[in-house]
Amino acid sequence: MPPICPYCSTTFDAVDKLKTHIIAEHGAEPLPRPEGLIDLMVNGERYELQVEPNVTLYTVIHDRLGLTGVKMFCDRGACGSCTVIMNGRPVLSCMTLAIECDSATIETAEGIAAAKHPLIETYVKHHCMQCGYCTPGFVVTAKALLDRNPNPTEEEIREALSGNLCRCGTYPQHPKAVAEAAKLLQGGEGGTR
Amino acid sequence: MKNFAHINARSLDEAVTALQRYGKRAAIIAGGTDLLGKMKDEILPAYPEALVNIKTIPGLNLIEEKKGTLSIGALTRLEDIAIDARIIDGYPALAEAARRTASTHLREMGTIGGNICQDIRCWYYRNQNNRFACLRKGGGRCYAIDGDNRYHSIFGGSVEQGCYAVHPSDTAPALIALDATIKTSRRSIKAEDFFQVSVAKTTVLDDDEIVTEIQIPKPAGTSAFVKFALRKAIDFPIVNCAAMVTVSKKKVTAARICLNAVYVKPYRATAAEDAMKGKAINEANAEAAGAAAVSGARPMPYNAYMVQIAKTMVKRAILGCA
Ligand code: SF4
Ligand code: FES
Ligand code: FES
Repeated sequence: MPPICPYCSTTFDAVDKLKTHIIAEHGAEPLPRPEGLIDLMVNGERYELQVEPNVTLYTVIHDRLGLTGVKMFCDRGACGSCTVIMNGRPVLSCMTLAIECDSATIETAEGIAAAKHPLIETYVKHHCMQCGYCTPGFVVTAKALLDRNPNPTEEEIREALSGNLCRCGTYPQHPKAVAEAAKLLQGGEGGTR
Repeated sequence: MKNFAHINARSLDEAVTALQRYGKRAAIIAGGTDLLGKMKDEILPAYPEALVNIKTIPGLNLIEEKKGTLSIGALTRLEDIAIDARIIDGYPALAEAARRTASTHLREMGTIGGNICQDIRCWYYRNQNNRFACLRKGGGRCYAIDGDNRYHSIFGGSVEQGCYAVHPSDTAPALIALDATIKTSRRSIKAEDFFQVSVAKTTVLDDDEIVTEIQIPKPAGTSAFVKFALRKAIDFPIVNCAAMVTVSKKKVTAARICLNAVYVKPYRATAAEDAMKGKAINEANAEAAGAAAVSGARPMPYNAYMVQIAKTMVKRAILGCA
């Protein structure tokens, strides 16, 4: 059911528009936001969703928005495969309640790929995946690192990625790919494998 | 995860009122990294009917240094503490303890308030669906005494309860060594008096009490934190240790040394502190202090190795203050 103005019965396609309308046309306080209604900005697109308290951010992004780059390995905050960047921080979506994410800005592997971030290319070049299940989590974590620290040392890269687990054991490749992506971002040339 | 009611508290008062309304049937959520795991595994003696979110309370996420006191809001993320130049500089034991906690992601989510309020990790206690209804869940016995106790207390159980589960926090010993004060919604508590063992509880907090701020006096001396864990990242400590040592004319005039993960509460190593008084910080004296710290150890069948590690952690923490 679309939001309806309780004063004049006009319908709107979004709650925010109804709010603006009520304040402007009826000089009244807007109705309180219904519980469980959240606004998310995911990869630059806005979504308005109604969620139950026990739904995690992982479930919303993966099942409801269909962004399947976010993966679930452990569901306990121990592996990093469900990492998304939320308001600039790499966080675990399996341990985040969606209902607490109202007005958050979120970036997933899909957004990073769409923006043609050099990490995607260097991850392929350096063979950072075998089965590939953990890879989006690594890429998202690495992106969060490069956003803050454009020129990380190998030690800093290892530390930033230390919460991402890979059952296939691709670990040695990741620092190489991240370091090269950092170089490319700064306008440098990529190295050899 | 089973469902629950969810309340975004807009002020401290609102949060306290909500907690009072639900009594023992509510839980506080901040970073959520400990709580949600417990809810998913259903290991709480009673599944919470409501979660009170305190992240929506303004003013609890800050780091401030004023008049010789460092104030850290309870909602400050561990990562923000780990990279704060003032803390790295003046309170290195705390910066290092925060840096060595869990993983990048968990530090970006987990708060300092939550880190000191976290629950124990005993694997019987944490076993899914309350399979072991032990003393800490109000049951009749401790399963670790006759079971696998390789990560349990080396200094005996808690007096009344007979529970041997260690306190797992990395920041707690640093706060005790630095002589911090924990401010709550109703009182101020010295960090070393903050921890207490009882059924489903690790702190002295009342059910409707919320940690709001940590205050640390500018240390007179230097401080250090060391941790031994199976892996460098993610893991909880096997043993950790924080020390704050004041030196005058090459002699130690005051020392505060605290071990954790060796006892049911953070373990202040007073024997090591006494051993260092009047001595110079060097390899031999630190070694002797380490030996003094564990002289009263009473390991269980599978954890004698922790005694040696604790001794070495004390030694390294002291040497780290040189
Ligand atoms: S050590 Fe404590 S938490 Fe673990 S089984 Fe024994 S009583 Fe329970
Ligand atoms: S699935 Fe979220 S941390 Fe493993
Ligand atoms: S590539 Fe298979 S889990 Fe990492």
